[in-house]
Amino acid sequence: MKQIIATVPLFDLGRGAFCDASLFQGIDLDTLRSIEADWTPIFDAAAPENPPEDAHWEWAAKALQALQNPLSYELFGIEADARTQGMMLVVKGGPKCFSRHPEHPRAPLIYVDFLATAPWNRPGLTATPTYKGVGRLLFMTAVSLSIEEEFAGRIGLHSLPGAEAFYRNRLNMTDMGKDDAYQNLRYFELSTTQARQLIAARP
Amino acid sequence: MKRTMTLNLTETEMTVLERMCEEKGLSKTALVRQALRLYKSVDERLARGEKVFVESADKAEKTELMVL
Repeated sequence: MKQIIATVPLFDLGRGAFCDASLFQGIDLDTLRSIEADWTPIFDAAAPENPPEDAHWEWAAKALQALQNPLSYELFGIEADARTQGMMLVVKGGPKCFSRHPEHPRAPLIYVDFLATAPWNRPGLTATPTYKGVGRLLFMTAVSLSIEEEFAGRIGLHSLPGAEAFYRNRLNMTDMGKDDAYQNLRYFELSTTQARQLIAARP
Repeated sequence: MKRTMTLNLTETEMTVLERMCEEKGLSKTALVRQALRLYKSVDERLARGEKVFVESADKAEKTELMVL
């Protein structure tokens, strides 16, 4: 099931202006078809020496996982131009949802399991990206969920190497180093203080 | 839609619940919700035949978690 929860602004780089997009909670077959039909061919056409790090993510399997366990998982998506512009799967409870940040060790948090923007929005995959801000909007949705769950905006995630700069520099998360228990990916957290700062700085 | 229930706890259980709520900055509802998610997460792994271990900080000891 999928339901629209907000109308959000996306920056259309071609027109140089904001346009309305729909933020959805949940997922349906249309979204999965959109990802398969619109995203996959671009991933497949990417240079073999530099494939997108998330090209192997299977959103249909993730959707099933979320649908089978609504207690712990939430899926969010952004749509514009009748296409899926980004998707995010978050975890609300379980072993991944304990903070490692020195500001509040073991405090509960929302763990962002997967976050991806459509390939045509990525500067690394296209010379002229379509929309800017999809990743940030999805991330801020996770922050909102964290507040709603009484987690004070706290977020945790493991980043693919290509996204590390985004989380470290654009969202000002704390880089807590490589996690040898999780494919050696770097673990990042948005602390309570950083969440407050990020919300205050929100355009 | 949310549903309401009454939870009967002993004095000790309520003391622990209130202390944890204070430590975590959560309401009793939010804390019970988190406890349920964690319990279900662990229980599902065990039901699939997986093992859940707790490792000591110095990594010298590893204890298998059993859930009743």
